[in-house]
Amino acid sequence: MRLEINKITKRFKHKTAVNSFSMVVDANECVGLIGPNGAGKSTLIQIIADILYADEGEILLDGQQISTMKHQIGYLPQYPNFFSWMTAFETLSFMGTLSGLSKNELQDEIPLLLEKVGLEKEAHFQVGTFSGGMKQRLGIAQALLHKPALMIMDEPVSALDPIGRREVLNLLKEIKKETTILLSTHILSDAEEICERFVVIQNGHKIEDATKDQLLERHQESAIYVEIRQEDFKWVTMVEQLSYVKKIENERNGFKIHVLHLEEDAQRLLQYALDSNVILLKFEMGIQESLEEIFLELVV
Amino acid sequence: MNTFMALSKKEVTQMTKEFKIVWLPIVFILLGLTQPIMMYYMPVILQSMGGVEGIMIDPTMAKPDGSEVLASTLSSQFDQLGIIILAVATMGIIQGEKANGMMAFILTRPVSISSYLNSKIIVHYIVAVFCIALGYGMSYGYTSYLFTTVPVMQGLLALALYCVWLLFVITFVAMMSTFFNSSAFIALVSIVVLFICRFIAGLHPFLDVVNPASNSLHATTILMSGGMKAWYGIHIAVTMFLVIWMIATMHHFIAKKKF
Repeated sequence: MRLEINKITKRFKHKTAVNSFSMVVDANECVGLIGPNGAGKSTLIQIIADILYADEGEILLDGQQISTMKHQIGYLPQYPNFFSWMTAFETLSFMGTLSGLSKNELQDEIPLLLEKVGLEKEAHFQVGTFSGGMKQRLGIAQALLHKPALMIMDEPVSALDPIGRREVLNLLKEIKKETTILLSTHILSDAEEICERFVVIQNGHKIEDATKDQLLERHQESAIYVEIRQEDFKWVTMVEQLSYVKKIENERNGFKIHVLHLEEDAQRLLQYALDSNVILLKFEMGIQESLEEIFLELVV
Repeated sequence: MNTFMALSKKEVTQMTKEFKIVWLPIVFILLGLTQPIMMYYMPVILQSMGGVEGIMIDPTMAKPDGSEVLASTLSSQFDQLGIIILAVATMGIIQGEKANGMMAFILTRPVSISSYLNSKIIVHYIVAVFCIALGYGMSYGYTSYLFTTVPVMQGLLALALYCVWLLFVITFVAMMSTFFNSSAFIALVSIVVLFICRFIAGLHPFLDVVNPASNSLHATTILMSGGMKAWYGIHIAVTMFLVIWMIATMHHFIAKKKF
């Protein structure tokens, strides 16, 4: 299912939460919506799930208005809330009936699904007794029950402990083989594990939309990392005088040399090192930042 | 239709788990009993509270007619304490699920707003009718036993007309529950507005046309005089129109996500 978000704007009384936001998610893609707290992630997710009303713009799923395609959407709210007097089985059966599943289908599907999310022992316990992680897993189960083509998840792992987070991430990895996934998070390492593409949102604006590789490449510094022997350290002061070197920083055991044009200057620097009889222990072109650093750089 | 049934079933189960389906009928049975018993023992009560000395002509001391007793069950028990209890029992009908996010969650499913609203209003209405009928039946039985018997057809007709007013009561509380977020405020506004409606009923014939409480007045008139007042058909039609308009307003309110 192809999800198109066209110039969505949502204003609240005091602030514009989402500002003319557009993006396209292709079928079977997994997109991570990343942003700091209060960036407008949840608002956008809720507009896609048709819980909030967008002031401007439209959202299309396969060319149809999203409000007419609800049977194709699985939605997991940030804090999934259920009727505490229902058991896990009853909750799934209730939500499934609302999605138009027949009784027989529900009888067959629910035990399988509960096993998949690791709640088979708790199937007939009341949801009111569940821990946060169990509720989250039940939330994922209800979002998967009607086999949606698009899964929308608001912070699926943010509230979980490391074990629960690992379980949910493994579950999501399995789901993404056959489902389009859009998830929001402010924890990058989680998104990094399951998503190939990241959309960074800040103050309601889209500020970056790229795959992981593109993101790393785009934020590559034109700097060269060298490690040399102790006795050659005075060579560095000579390098500093070169016209194409912007600045030199001490880093780890070596030096980070910022240059103007990465590729040609690397060649010149290498040549210069050879000419001055310096032995290079390590020579690394284009220092990559981690996604975490890129994220911080983008939003701070 | 399937989603409507699922939501109604959920509503009934929820009422069972909250014991609403137990205490609400009991309260209305007690309310229904109160009126005939109190009117029967009124002279004894007055006597023990001090009594009357000398000679006094007091029309209320005469033993009332059964139809009068039944009519006052409707007008002074169900229309006063009954409305307060119904408003309090129904105030959370939509507000509760609005506050904990369940309404928004349910509506992310292919569920139409109408089946959501209708399931709630219809289930609560049926329960309210059941409770009122039980209380009314109790009152009817005790009235026949302690006073005179009211003709069954008159009694049923009065109950039917009262149920029209009841539909307005339930829908109105549901509408307040959709609009406002504080349950105490919902109960207060509902009770005040419904009481005003009930008090101004019968004041002016034109006012009565738009006042749903005039149906309650018709019910008591049937019991007292046996005949229908004029215009009762119009009154029922206008009340039904008001109910449909209120449901449409709630629908619009939820569709525009103003909650």
